[in-house]
Amino acid sequence: MTLRLSDLIDDRPTDGAFRVNRAIFTDPGVFDAEIRRLFEGGWVFLGIESQAAGPHDFFTTFAGRVPVLVQRDGEGTLRAFVNTCPHKGARLAQVRQGNARLHVCPYHSWTFDSAGRNKAIKWQKAGCYAEAFDRDDHGLKPLPQFANYRGFLFGSVAGEVTPLGEYLGEATKLLDLVADQSEDGLELVPGQVTFTYEANWKLQLENCSDAYHFTSAHPSYIRVLERRQKEMSGDVVASVWENSDYWKEEAEGVGGGSYSFANGHVLNWGVFGITPAIPLYERAGELAERHGEGKRDWMFNMRNVTIFPNLQIAENASSQLRVIRPIAPGLTEMRTWCIAPKGESAGARRQRIRQYEDFFNPTGMATPDDTVSYENCQIGFAGTVEPWLQGYARGMTASVAGGNRFSDRIDLQPERSVLADSQLCDETLYHAYYRAWAARMAGEFEA
Amino acid sequence: MELTQSQAEQLLYREALLIDTGRFADWLELFTPDVEFWMPAWRDETTTTQDPDRELSLIYYKGRRNLEDRVMRLTSGLSTASTPLPRAVHQVTNVMVTAQDGEGADVSAAFTCHRFDVRMNRADCFFGRYEYRLVRAGQDWKIARKKIILLNDTIPTVVDINAI
Repeated sequence: MTLRLSDLIDDRPTDGAFRVNRAIFTDPGVFDAEIRRLFEGGWVFLGIESQAAGPHDFFTTFAGRVPVLVQRDGEGTLRAFVNTCPHKGARLAQVRQGNARLHVCPYHSWTFDSAGRNKAIKWQKAGCYAEAFDRDDHGLKPLPQFANYRGFLFGSVAGEVTPLGEYLGEATKLLDLVADQSEDGLELVPGQVTFTYEANWKLQLENCSDAYHFTSAHPSYIRVLERRQKEMSGDVVASVWENSDYWKEEAEGVGGGSYSFANGHVLNWGVFGITPAIPLYERAGELAERHGEGKRDWMFNMRNVTIFPNLQIAENASSQLRVIRPIAPGLTEMRTWCIAPKGESAGARRQRIRQYEDFFNPTGMATPDDTVSYENCQIGFAGTVEPWLQGYARGMTASVAGGNRFSDRIDLQPERSVLADSQLCDETLYHAYYRAWAARMAGEFEA
Repeated sequence: MELTQSQAEQLLYREALLIDTGRFADWLELFTPDVEFWMPAWRDETTTTQDPDRELSLIYYKGRRNLEDRVMRLTSGLSTASTPLPRAVHQVTNVMVTAQDGEGADVSAAFTCHRFDVRMNRADCFFGRYEYRLVRAGQDWKIARKKIILLNDTIPTVVDINAI
C-alpha cells in the first residue's frame, strides 16, 4: 500500500485537530489489512461462557475469517479450535450451538472428541499411509490464544499477543458492571437475531458511542415514547427512555459523558437513576449491599461499551450484546442477543425482552434508522472531493486526561474523559478507536 | 356460523392488499383491540422461540395500540428507514382452515413478500408461514392473533411490519 497513515488519520492534538479520511471505510486494501491486523491479529470476542454451559456443549463463531469452535469437554474444560477438519478442511461443526461428545466430519468421517483429539481416521490401517502422515497430529488445531474474563470469552488467531487482562486493562471494570448484576452470572436470552447492513463495520463501532445522533435519527421512536408517556396502559411496552431526560434536548446539567481506554475500548454513559423502568430495579437494594452504592448506581446508568474491535454491550433501552463481523468494506454482519443476569424474576425478564425488541431489533423501531444511516454514509463516502470527515471534533476542548468524580466512584481509571450535558455529545471518544486502529495498522503503511 | 374457506382467503388477501397499497388505517381495522401480533426469533437452526415472555421475538405485541405505533412510525416521515417507503407485494397461498370452535377459527397460510427498497435499489424476498386466530365480529371476521414464522431470518438491514 502506498498510502501513509497520516493520509488516513489526521491526529494533531496540539492543533485541536482530529480528522478521518473517508477511504478507511471504503478502500479494499485497508479492509484486508484490518482483517489481518485487527480481527486475525489480536484479541477478538468469541462468545459468553453460558453458550457452552454443560459438558460437551459447544458453539461456533468467527475470528475474522477464521471459523471457530468453542467446545467444553466432559471434564468441564473449555477450549477454542479452528472449526475445520484437518483432512480436507471441511467445516466441522455446522450449527451455531449444540452438544457433542464427538464431532464426526460429514465429508470423510474423521472423528474428534470434545477435547479436540482425533479419535478415528476412517479405514486408517487399510489406508497405506506413510510414516510422515503418522507423525502428524490429526487433532483439531487449537485457536492460538483463548481466554475467559468472567464469562466473556476471547480468542486470537495470532499467537503472540499481550495477555487478555492486559489488553482489556481498565475496561475489565466495564465488563464487571455487567457480570456482577447477578451472583449466578450472565446468560443470553434464547433467540439470536442476525442482520446485515451494506456499509463498513466501523460505522457500527462509532454509532454505539454516538450520543449526537439520538434525537436526529430516532424522532419517530421518540414520538412513540411521547405517545406512550401520555397514555400508559398494560398493553403498551414500557421503556426506560420514557423515564429519563437523557435524550431530551432541554435537559440541563451533567447527564453523562464518555471515557476512553487504552487499546481502543470506550464507554459513553448517561444517568438514568434507580428507576422501576429498569429490569434490574428489583435487585437495587441487594446490589448496593453487595457491591456498594457507587457500583450499584453505575449498573443503573445508561452504558454503551465497546471492547475493540468487535464486542459491544449496550445497556440503555434494554441490554444488548452485539458482535460485529466485517464481511467486506461495504458489508457487515451483526450477531445480536439480549444479555441478562441469571435468576431475575419473570416480570423483570419479560420487561427486558419487550424493551429490547422495540429498540434493538432490525424489526424494531430504532436500529433500522441507524443501519440505514450507515448505508447513507457508505454511499456518501464516495464523495472524495473533500476526503476528510468532520465528525471527530465535538468535545475537543472538554476532553481531559484521566477520570472524574463519576469514574472515581468505582475506581475506574480511563485514559481520557469528558463530562457532558445533553447537548455536548462528545466525539473525542472515537479518537481512542482510531488511535488503537492506527497503532495496530501502522506496519501496513509507508513511514 | 363457521368460517368458510372463501371467507378465510378473502380476509387474508384483503389484509395483504391493504398493506401493499399502504392503506394502514384500514389494515389496523382488521385486528381486534387485544390482538396478539407475534413474529418469533429462531432459537436454533430448526426451532423458533416458543415463549415470548422468556425468549426473544423479532416482534411481539399484545394490543392493537402497539401496531398503531408502528404504523405511525412508518408513515410519519420521521424514520429514515421508512422514507420513502419500500414497495412491497405479498403472495398469500396455501390457505387452510385448520380448526373451528364456537368463537372462531384457526387459519394457516404461506407467504412470500417481495420488497423493493427504492433507497438502495435493492430487492429482497421474505417468506414463511402465517398462523391466524380469527374471531367473529358481527358480519365480519377479525384477526385476534397473527403469528408470522419468518423462515429467512438473517435480516438485510431492516424488516418492518409491511414486508412480513
